[in-house]
Amino acid sequence: MTRGRILVVAALIAAVALVGIYAAAGGASYEPVKVQNPCKPRPPAETSGGLEGVAEEITLSALDGAACRLGVTRERLARALASTSAREKFAKEFHIDDERLAKAIRAGLVRAVTDAEERGKIPGVFAGPLRSLVEDIPLEEGIKLIQGGKDLFSSAESFLGPLGDLLNEFLP
Amino acid sequence: MGEARPNPRVWALALAVGVVLADSSIVVLALPDIYRDLDTTVFGVTWVLVSFNLVMALAAVPAAMVARRVGPGRAAAVGLAIFAGAGLACGLSDNLEALIVARSIQAIGGALAVTASLELLPIAVGSERRASVVWASAGATGAALGPALGGILTQLVSWQSIFLIQVPVALIAAAPILAIARDEMSTRVLEREVSRPTGRPHLWANVALAMVSAAIAAALFLLVLLLIEGWLLSPIGAALVVSVMPLAALVGSRIGGWVADARARAAAGALLLAGGLGGLALLPKATVWLTVPPQILIGIGLSLVLSALTETALAGRSPQAIHGGWTISSRHAGVVIGLLALTPVFTHDIAVQQKNAINSGTSVILDSPVRPLVKIGLAEKISEHLEAQDGKVPNLGHVFDPLPEDEGERAEVVEMREELQDQLNAGATHAFSPSFAIAALIALLALLPIGLARRIEL
Repeated sequence: MTRGRILVVAALIAAVALVGIYAAAGGASYEPVKVQNPCKPRPPAETSGGLEGVAEEITLSALDGAACRLGVTRERLARALASTSAREKFAKEFHIDDERLAKAIRAGLVRAVTDAEERGKIPGVFAGPLRSLVEDIPLEEGIKLIQGGKDLFSSAESFLGPLGDLLNEFLP
Repeated sequence: MGEARPNPRVWALALAVGVVLADSSIVVLALPDIYRDLDTTVFGVTWVLVSFNLVMALAAVPAAMVARRVGPGRAAAVGLAIFAGAGLACGLSDNLEALIVARSIQAIGGALAVTASLELLPIAVGSERRASVVWASAGATGAALGPALGGILTQLVSWQSIFLIQVPVALIAAAPILAIARDEMSTRVLEREVSRPTGRPHLWANVALAMVSAAIAAALFLLVLLLIEGWLLSPIGAALVVSVMPLAALVGSRIGGWVADARARAAAGALLLAGGLGGLALLPKATVWLTVPPQILIGIGLSLVLSALTETALAGRSPQAIHGGWTISSRHAGVVIGLLALTPVFTHDIAVQQKNAINSGTSVILDSPVRPLVKIGLAEKISEHLEAQDGKVPNLGHVFDPLPEDEGERAEVVEMREELQDQLNAGATHAFSPSFAIAALIALLALLPIGLARRIEL
């Protein structure tokens, strides 16, 4: 075998070996974390428990419900609700006005309360008033509720009056 | 090359070729700084690189004709003076337009110097074959060294310094060449050379040169972008990483010296180049040391293939300057085509991977066991940070500072940060994979003209 042929064969072996080793080591199998369809049921989130945990579960569920209605991902909607400028950018990008956003958030919150009730996270006696509270909630208030889920119960407490004091007692 | 006795004229001519051809890639590591300093767009800053290579591609053959007409010594000296003057203008530019114009003028001077050097080298080294070996090796070394030198200068001094440093280097190379210009011998050579008919360029060797140059440009440009913009290395850190390529190129030139068959060297070089680029397309992790084996293959490959194809394109053809001009033109046309073809591919892939990484990151945050208010705060910070990124690969690391005071919560946030960082790194790395894969394919396809180079002589 001539030196030229030896060189070509050696180069071929080196090239194939490198590509093969890198592919076998996982270079060809990368996939980004898949973002789940918000319209499909999601297993209950890992939350901190108590009032805060239930509030968080409702927040995440409400995000799913609103995102499903708007035809966007939960992740995109969460970022859009983080600030006014992010919301304006989102509205421009997806052609979604405030009225449509408000409707979606209300629907998301209602679905979230119902889901929490069905899972036994909220006693039925509180689920009804909570649903009434969020059904007509103005956009800014709805966003605030999703941003700081705990406020949902503060609002409920004031809405329910003295009964609100019992809320913490009944929450699992 | 080893048989040639070193003399100042040979070194000066090799230096002239090296500094001009290094200029084709030296600016790569400075592009992010230029982008920020001159407040331009990604597309605009790409033209700092493209303009030089495009003008070199267009000017190389006419420059060689001018060199033959006015005398190679004078042409090389004037070319280096233009190159140095335009380099000074590049270093003093305070806007993108001025920089691109100065880079274009630099390319004209460079084309004159490089092609005239090839006409002068046979006199200095004693034979046309040896001259073409010295010329091709100097060019390959310059091209491989460029990014590392540029990165070191950018970080230690400034991006302007990579152009300003070229002024004294070009003048040092010009000094012995001026002596040649004054030499009566040049005039006699000129008379003899001008009377020689110009043969056709070696079509397949030049086509192969263009193809491998496109792949090499992709290797240098994309790897540097991945290191700086994707993995957030400093310019000097990236320069150290990519210095593997010129070191491997030195090994490649030694290997090339043992094999006389130029077609075998070219084929082996193209295979190594394709393998190295394939390796970069399949990086298993976002780790710097994993780029070393592919870079070794690319460095050895580029040295073998560029030298072999240049020698093939020049062998038995005269005048050397004109055929050298064709090789320069092919190489730089390849660089331009490679950059212009791959820029939209990787900018699109970066945008897609950025979107994936952001969604993955938000998902990681939303599903984490951290308190809702902490999550919302992070989402807000991430949102603001992303708006400021303007299409670049995001780095969200500092978004997590300051960490929560509660120990348990801090551990959860740190875990979330690491998961998110892994997502971003993997996304940034794989944003470049399709471009590296295309470049690898181009290098493989170059085997076709390499195979045809001996069978069909045009």
